[in-house]
Amino acid sequence: MKFFTSFRKKSPWILHYNAGSCNGCDIEILAALGPKFDLERFGVINTGNPKQSDIFLVTGPVTYRSRERLVELYSQIPEPKVVIAVGSCTTTGGVFRGMYNVEDGIDQYIPVDVYVPGCASTPQLIIDAIVKALEILENKSKEIEKPFKLFGSVETIGNKLSRLNMAKRVKHD
Amino acid sequence: MKKTIQIPLGSQHISLLEPIRFKFECENEKIIGVDADVGFVHRGVELACTRSFEFKQVGYVVARVCGLCAITHSLSYTLAAEKLLGYEANDRIKYLRMLMVELDRIHSHMLCLAHTAENAGFEALFMQIMADRELVMDLQEAISGNRVQFDFIAIGGVNRDLTPELTALIHKNLTLLSEKIDALIGLFNNNWSLSLKYKGVGVLRLEDAYTYNALGPLARAAGLATDVRVETSDFPYEDIGYTMILESTGDIHARNFVRLREIVNSIAMCRNIADNLPAGEILEKTKGKPKGEAVVRVEAPRGELFYLVRGNGGNMLERVRIKTPTFSGIPAMMEVFKSSEYADAPAILASFDPCMSCTAK
Amino acid sequence: MTKLETTLATLLADIGTFYEPKKWHFLTVNGIDLGEGKIELQWIFSKYGVKDEIVIYYALSDYETPVPSLVSLIPSAFMGEREIVDMFGLKVDGAERGLYLDEDSLQHPLRSES
Ligand code: SF4
Repeated sequence: MKFFTSFRKKSPWILHYNAGSCNGCDIEILAALGPKFDLERFGVINTGNPKQSDIFLVTGPVTYRSRERLVELYSQIPEPKVVIAVGSCTTTGGVFRGMYNVEDGIDQYIPVDVYVPGCASTPQLIIDAIVKALEILENKSKEIEKPFKLFGSVETIGNKLSRLNMAKRVKHD
Repeated sequence: MKKTIQIPLGSQHISLLEPIRFKFECENEKIIGVDADVGFVHRGVELACTRSFEFKQVGYVVARVCGLCAITHSLSYTLAAEKLLGYEANDRIKYLRMLMVELDRIHSHMLCLAHTAENAGFEALFMQIMADRELVMDLQEAISGNRVQFDFIAIGGVNRDLTPELTALIHKNLTLLSEKIDALIGLFNNNWSLSLKYKGVGVLRLEDAYTYNALGPLARAAGLATDVRVETSDFPYEDIGYTMILESTGDIHARNFVRLREIVNSIAMCRNIADNLPAGEILEKTKGKPKGEAVVRVEAPRGELFYLVRGNGGNMLERVRIKTPTFSGIPAMMEVFKSSEYADAPAILASFDPCMSCTAK
Repeated sequence: MTKLETTLATLLADIGTFYEPKKWHFLTVNGIDLGEGKIELQWIFSKYGVKDEIVIYYALSDYETPVPSLVSLIPSAFMGEREIVDMFGLKVDGAERGLYLDEDSLQHPLRSES
C-alpha cells in the first residue's frame, strides 16, 4: 500500500473535461501543461482515461447535455480523487448564469475541492490549484487507509464515510 | 455477419479539447459514414443577449462564446452596434483592432498546428509549438492585460492604448517568432514522417468546397479564393500588406501550410501596424440607442464570422444572430471524413481546428 | 446589403434561379421573431471575391406553416435548418429536432413568448 501512495503523491494524473466552457480556460490548462509553465515537471500528466486519474479538472458551467457525462466520469475515477473547478463560470456560472441551458456551476452535481476564479484563469492560478489539490489528495489517501473493522463496534461504514466527508454522497441515517 | 461496425469518438477523448461526439460507420478501416453530435456546449447566448444584457454589455458577453476567437466575436458585435448607432471609428482605433485580431489569429493557428502535430503522434513538436506560442500570449497580455479573454474592444473604440515600450516589445517578440515559424515551415515541408501523416490525407476537393460552402483555411487549402478580409471594407487590410494565401491540394498538409503562411503574413501586418499607427483618440463617446438592422462579417481564425443585429431603439436588442465559422464548416468536414481511414480521424479532426463552443453557442 | 422579399411557396424557385455554387456563398438561415406568432425567415448569401455584397432573401411566416428545405439546392443548408427547428419549433421538411436541445424537448427558446 505504501508503494502506491508514494507514487500517487509524486505523479497525480489529471483528467480534463469541458462541460460547456468557452475554451478560454481549456487553452490555459494546455498552456499550463506546456513548456513555459510546465506542470509536467511535477509529474502531472494529462490522461484521457478516468480510471487512471486522480485529479479531475472541470471547466464550464455544466450544460444540460453534458451533465450526465460529468457525473459518469466523476464516478469512474477511483478514490481518492480531487475535483478542481477551473474558471469563474465553473464555480458559479459566471456570465452564463441563468441562461436556459446552463446549470450554474459544477457543485450542483459533484463535490468540488478547489475552486479557481478568473475568466480566464491564468496558468499560474491553475498550478496553484493543483499544488493545493495534491495536499488534499494526500490527506484523503491517509484517511482512506486508516484501518477499520467491518463488523464489531470500532467504526461503522457510515461513520467512516462521514469522517471522510463523503457522507453527502451516500445516503444513510 | 454485419458488414459495418460503428465506432464512437467522444464526447470525452484525449484528442479532443472540447466535447463533440462522432459516430463513425466503418467498413474494416475505412470510414463510410459519419454522424456528429455538436450540442454538448449549447448554453443559449443568443437569447441572453436580447433578454438579460443591455446592448453596451453584449460585447463582453459574446466574447464568452469562444475563448480562442473572443476578440473577433466582440469585434463583430461592436461593428454591428456601431453601424446601428451611426458611428464610424477613426483610423487609430481601426489599426489597434486589426492588431489584436491578427495577434489572435497567430496564436489560434499555432494552437491548431500544435494540436494537429500531437494528434499525429508528435508530442515533442506539440511542446515546441506551444513554447513558441507563448511569445504571442505574452504580447497579448502586455497589450490588453489578459492572456485569453482580453475584452479589448468597446463600443466607440478600444480600452487600452499602445505605448512605445509595447511597440518595441511587439517588434522583439515577432522577430523571435518569425525565425521559429521559418524553422517550422522547413520542418513541416521536409520531415518525412510528418509528410506520411499529412500528405494526401483528409482531402477536400475544390468542387466539394464549393458545394458544401467551406470557408476559412479549410477552403483556401482547397484552392477556393475566399477571405472576408478582402470581401469587406470595414478595415483597410490592403494598406497593411495583406495577401491571400492559397494552396491547391486540400489535404492536411495544405491546411497546415495555409496556417503557417498566414502566420507569416499576420506577423508582417502586425509589424506594419505597430510602425504606422495613426494618431487619434482611442475611445470616443457614442450617442443614441441602436435602431435598425445591421450585418457584419469578420474573418475569424477559422473562417467567416457573421453577426446580424437588430435593435428597436431601446436598451435591449431585438435579435442577435451569431453564425460561427465551424457551424458552416461542419458539412464539408463530414464530407472529408468519408472514405478516409479511421486511424487518421483524430489528425483530420484536429486539422479542421473545430471550435465546438462557437458552434453550439 | 440587398434585401429581397419572397414567400415560402416560391422560395425554392427563387433561390433555384438565383443560387450558383461558384458565385455565391451561402451563409445561413436566420429567424427573427416579430411577436404575435409572426416570424421573419432569412436566407443569407454573400458573393465570393466582391466587397460588401450580401443578399438576404426574407419571407414572413408563422410558427405552424411548414418551411421548405433548401438541402436539394444547397447541401450544407441542413445545419441552419436544424437550428431554426430547435430554436423556434418550426417545421422544416427533413430536419428533425435535436441539434442543440433534446429530441423530445418542448422548449423553443427564441420565440418571443417563451
Ligand atoms: S471562466 Fe471565462 S474564460 Fe473560463 S471557460 Fe468560463 S467563460 Fe471561458
